[in-house]
Amino acid sequence: MSILIAYPKGRLGDELMELLKETPLALDAVAMKSRVLRIPTATPEVQALLLKGSDLPRYVAAGVAALGIVGSDTLDELDMDLLELADLEFGACRMSLCVPQGTTLEELRNRPHLRLATKFLRSTEAWLAKEGLTAELVPLSSSVELAPLLGLADGIVDLVQTGGTLKAHGLVEIALLGRSSARLVAARGAYLSEPHRIKPLAEILIKALKGKG
Amino acid sequence: MPVRTPHFPDLLFRAAGRLRRWETALMNLLEKSGCREMHPSLVMREGVPQDALRFFDGDDLVALRWDFTVALAGVVTRRFPEPPGKISYAGGVFRRPVQPWEAVERFEVGCELIEAKANGESDLELARLLMAVPGAIGLKNAILHLGNAALVRRPLEAEQLSPELTQAVVSALSRRAPHRVRQVLEGHPAAERLTAHAQALVSELGGIEALKALDASPYAELLTLERQHMAQTLQSLLPILPPNLELRLDLADVEGLDFYTGPTLRLWAPGAQQELASGGRYDGLYPELGKPWQAAGFCVRLSRLLDLAETRPDLFEQP
Repeated sequence: MSILIAYPKGRLGDELMELLKETPLALDAVAMKSRVLRIPTATPEVQALLLKGSDLPRYVAAGVAALGIVGSDTLDELDMDLLELADLEFGACRMSLCVPQGTTLEELRNRPHLRLATKFLRSTEAWLAKEGLTAELVPLSSSVELAPLLGLADGIVDLVQTGGTLKAHGLVEIALLGRSSARLVAARGAYLSEPHRIKPLAEILIKALKGKG
Repeated sequence: MPVRTPHFPDLLFRAAGRLRRWETALMNLLEKSGCREMHPSLVMREGVPQDALRFFDGDDLVALRWDFTVALAGVVTRRFPEPPGKISYAGGVFRRPVQPWEAVERFEVGCELIEAKANGESDLELARLLMAVPGAIGLKNAILHLGNAALVRRPLEAEQLSPELTQAVVSALSRRAPHRVRQVLEGHPAAERLTAHAQALVSELGGIEALKALDASPYAELLTLERQHMAQTLQSLLPILPPNLELRLDLADVEGLDFYTGPTLRLWAPGAQQELASGGRYDGLYPELGKPWQAAGFCVRLSRLLDLAETRPDLFEQP
């Protein structure tokens, strides 16, 4: 049976495609441009899936894909039953509370009804509980930085890599909730029942990706 | 948020026949080993947990049997002045699953060894019985993982971590992620030691050589007895290993750590997504119920085996 590895689409995916070139798990360039769902890799019997980050852990937890690469922020949000074999230390970013310039954390604390927009509901809830705060959470899946500008929320919790997008929207970071980086994940069943098949592939990925981003 | 549709399986024809056949084969196996069968009531009235299927019987909150070990412990402590020795059971349990694709009603066969004072032989006997399970149900290849809950419990107790930190470390180990252990213990005096221990535990999964990984643990001395016990168990079992069964040591097995106190057992099939049977020593249960007894047992998850037989028929002998 062939082995499936789930790679993320988007920014994280773009970074790792470059890093995987010339490795045994490099993706077939021709297939990448087609509409093929299972993309061959340089290793026969190993195919790749390109998935949205938020869907990827489900494919791995269900054992459809034996291995996957996904941001730790997504893992924390979904809390799926899977193994997390390594912190690959690339795609690093901060998860921060961001507000319009001039607003302070103290001001937010004093608001009788605080509204925060985010796609990281679980992490935000955990931070609020730790800080002893309550807030209305506004779930958004994209362009979160628009929310405070248009009055939908007082602030946002989002991932920040360079801070460029925040600056462009007049937002600043006022609290750090955590840090995120790419993680190598594995299906519990596949890894524990067939380590001789899965471990060598995991080692190739760690060697090619860890600390390279 | 995950959407969960409660799934109560109706077994038709082939699956129903398989369940009956496997249940019979396994209960015969357990009976031959000296187990006496018990069948605790389907309705449980005490200590009803939230994930049970609960309902009111008049003014009383009751639940469908959610766990055989707990149900049997209730019966045994009420009715037996002395530990009953080896007992077996078969039937369904009802519990809302952690994974959304698992059924609420699950079929199980299992056994328990309840004794006044256990010795190393009890754990070996349990392992030997579990080793016979794949052959009894026609599973062509299987892997038995031997673990020991004390490998994690004892260092955590020695460091006197808070319950919250303990839970966070166990959760990180369950993911086999030493980097998460480091993260959750950031700033704690035991952070470096427990991270090194986690790295040692997850580094190997295999035969007796896996125990050498413990050399790198700061708790190697503390765990000398557990290490010796695992080596002895492996050496006792290897000569009687049935064909097509592989034995592996899994030092990082932390599933059920709040329940298990010593050696643990997990049965896998190559490529299976979930363990097919699991068990181990849980010496804390009966003292909590007021009986100074020790106990160990395992449970064969027939529902998972039925699913596996549908999706991977190649893994089973044809009847």
